[in-house]
Amino acid sequence: MDLLLDSINELFAPATAAFALAAIGLNFHFGLTGLLNMGHAGFMLLGMYGYAISTSRGAPIWLALVIAIVVAALFGLLLGWPTLKLRGDYLAIATISAAELVRYLGRSNTLQSLTGGSTGIRGNDFKFTFEELSPFPDENITFLFWTRHGSLSSSWWLVLVAWIAVALFALLYWQLARSPWGRVLKGIREDEDAVRALGKNVYSYKMQALVLGGVIGALGGVLWALGGSVQPDSMGRPTTFWIWTLLLLGGAATVLGPIVGSMIFWMSLVLIKGLASAFIPSSVLSPVEIEPFSLVLVGVTLMCLVIFRPQGILGNKRELAFND
Amino acid sequence: MTNRVDRRVLLRALVVLVASAAAFFVLTALGTPALAAGTDTAVTHAVASSGEAAAHATQAGTTITAEAAAPAKPGDNRVVQQLVNGLVFGLLLALASVGLSLIYGTTGLSNFAHGEQVSLGALLCFFFTTPQPVSLPLLPFEFSIGLPLIPAAIAAIAVSAGTGWLQDKFLWSPLRRRRVSIVQQMIVSIGLSLAMLNFIQWWFGAERQRLTTSIDERIDMGMFSIGISTLWSVAISLLCLGGVAYFLMRTRTGRATRAVSDNPALASASGIRVDKVVRLVWIMATGLAAVGGILLALYDNAAAFDVGARLLLLMFAAVTLGGLGHPFGALVGSLVIGVAVEMSTLWVGTDLKYAVALAILILVLLVRPQGILGRPERVG
Repeated sequence: MDLLLDSINELFAPATAAFALAAIGLNFHFGLTGLLNMGHAGFMLLGMYGYAISTSRGAPIWLALVIAIVVAALFGLLLGWPTLKLRGDYLAIATISAAELVRYLGRSNTLQSLTGGSTGIRGNDFKFTFEELSPFPDENITFLFWTRHGSLSSSWWLVLVAWIAVALFALLYWQLARSPWGRVLKGIREDEDAVRALGKNVYSYKMQALVLGGVIGALGGVLWALGGSVQPDSMGRPTTFWIWTLLLLGGAATVLGPIVGSMIFWMSLVLIKGLASAFIPSSVLSPVEIEPFSLVLVGVTLMCLVIFRPQGILGNKRELAFND
Repeated sequence: MTNRVDRRVLLRALVVLVASAAAFFVLTALGTPALAAGTDTAVTHAVASSGEAAAHATQAGTTITAEAAAPAKPGDNRVVQQLVNGLVFGLLLALASVGLSLIYGTTGLSNFAHGEQVSLGALLCFFFTTPQPVSLPLLPFEFSIGLPLIPAAIAAIAVSAGTGWLQDKFLWSPLRRRRVSIVQQMIVSIGLSLAMLNFIQWWFGAERQRLTTSIDERIDMGMFSIGISTLWSVAISLLCLGGVAYFLMRTRTGRATRAVSDNPALASASGIRVDKVVRLVWIMATGLAAVGGILLALYDNAAAFDVGARLLLLMFAAVTLGGLGHPFGALVGSLVIGVAVEMSTLWVGTDLKYAVALAILILVLLVRPQGILGRPERVG
C-alpha cells in the first residue's frame, strides 16, 4: 500500500514535471523536426547554472529566468550554426560532445568559485527567491495521503508551478505544431529537400526549433534544480538518454507523449525498486544493486521501444522521425 | 568535390572558436580573476595545437615549461614525458577505436555501446584474475578464480569477442535484415550502452578494481621515464594494430572487409558474403576493445565500470578526426587525440583534459567532417 502511494506520489513529483518539460523541449527537436539532439542534458545544465549563479549573485527571479533562457538560446545558436548542416549522426555526436564539454567545464576546478566545481551549487544558495513567492504556509501540509512542505524544496508550491509550466508548454507545442510554422518543421522531418524546393529556409527553421526546444529544456533544468541542487554530474549522458527513453515511451511528435512518458518512467522506476526490494531476497539482489538493476531495465526498454514500437504509447506510426 | 577547405566553413569554425573562448574567458574572469588570462590562452593553445600537429604543441610547450613548470625530477623533461604518455595513451586508445571505426565502415552504425565493451574487457580480466571471491549477478554464491594475469586476459578477450558474436547474431543482424534505419539502430545502441553500463556496475560494483597488485618498475630513459609493463602494453598494442593492418591489406577476408566498407551492395553483388564479414568485424571489434580495456586498466592501475563510457567520446573524437570508417584513420586520430589530451595537462587542469578532446572533435566536425584521411563526401 505504501508502495502504491509512493508511486502515485511520483506521478506528480516535481522531478517528473521537470523531465516532462525537458522532454517537451526534445519533442520540438526530435518529434517535430527530426533533429537528433543527444545533448539535451547540456541545455538543462546550462539553464540550471544560469538560474542558480545569477540568483546567488543577487538577481531577482525574473532576471535569473531570463538569464537561464538567454544562456540556453546562445548555446543553441552556437551549437546549431555549424552542425545543423551535417547529417543526423554527426549532429548526434556533436551535441553529445558539446553537452559533455559543458559538464566538464562546470565541474572543473578552474571555474570552482563560479560553478562550485564537482560538488555543484547548494540548493539554499539559489532557491530562496522562488520560495519567498510561495502563497502556501511555511509548514508541512498533508493533502489526501501525501505530505510535503508548503514552500521549501520539492514543495507543493513547486509542484503547482512545475505542472502549470508543463501544461503551458504542452499547449504551446500543440498550437505551434498545428501552425504553418509547425507544418514546415514536419515537412523538414519528412523530406528536407522537398521543403527546400518549396523555397523555405530549412536551416533557419531547424535553428529556430533547436533554440526553442533548448530553452524549454533549460527551463526543465531550472525546475529540476529548484527541487534539489545544481549537480553537474546528475546531468551527464544518462540523463539525456532517460529523456529520450521517456519521450519515445510516451510517443514522439505527440502533445501528451512527453508527459505520459515521464509519469510512467518515474513511477515504474519507483515501482521496480520497491517491488525488487520487497520480493527479491537480498542475497540475490542486494540493496545497492537495485539501482543499476532498474537502470538496466531502462536501457532494455529503450532498445525494445525503438525496435518494436518506435511510435511509443500515444504515437502515430505515420508520424515517425526516423528517416536517414 | 575539391580538396580545398571551404572558406565559409573555416570562418564559421573560427567564429565559434572565438565565441566559446570569449565565453570561457568571461566565465573565468567572473570566477577567478587571477587565473583568467593564463587558462584561456592555454585552452586556445591546446585546441590550436591539436588541429595542426604535435610539433606545434611541443614548441609552445617548451616555452611555457621553461618559464613556469619545474621538472619533477632532474633529467625528466615534463613536455617530453607528457608527449610519451600521450603516444602510449593514443596507442591504447587506438586499439579500442579501430573496432568502432571498422563497425562504422562496414555497417554505417555509430555504436554508442562500444565504450562498454572496453570496460567489460577490463573488468572481465579482473574477474578472472582476482584472488578475492567474486560472484555472478543473480547467483547468491561466491567463488574465486584467481588465474594468473595473462591467461585471465586471454579468457576475458575471448569472452568479450563472444559478446560481439552474440550481439551481431541476435541483435544487429536481425535489425539489418528488417531494414531498421541507421538512426534507429544508433538509438538501440544507446539503449544497449545504458543497459550494459548498469549491468557492469551491478556485476562488479562501483569501485575501482585493480588488475594486479605488483608495482610497475619505471626505467629512466634520460628525457623521460616509462614503466616496464607499459612498454609491454605498447608492444602488444603495436602487435595487434599491425595484425589488423596485415589482415586488412594482405588477406582475402581483409580485402573483402574493405570492399564491404567501400560499397556493401557492390561487394554483395560480386560474391562477398557481407553478413559473414560483418559478423567477423563485430568479433574483431569487441575483442580489440577488450584488449584496449585491459591494457588501459594496467596503464591506469585500475578500472571502474564507467571507464569505457568516459572514453567513448574520445574514441568518437579519434575516429572522426582520422576519418569515420577509415581503419588507419582511427590510428592516426587516436595518436593525435592521445597526445593532445596528455599535453593539454601542461596548461589546463587534469579534470579538463577530456574536454580538450571534445573541443577538438567539435572543431573537426566544423572544418573537415570527413576527417584527416577520409574522402570528401557530402555529409550534410
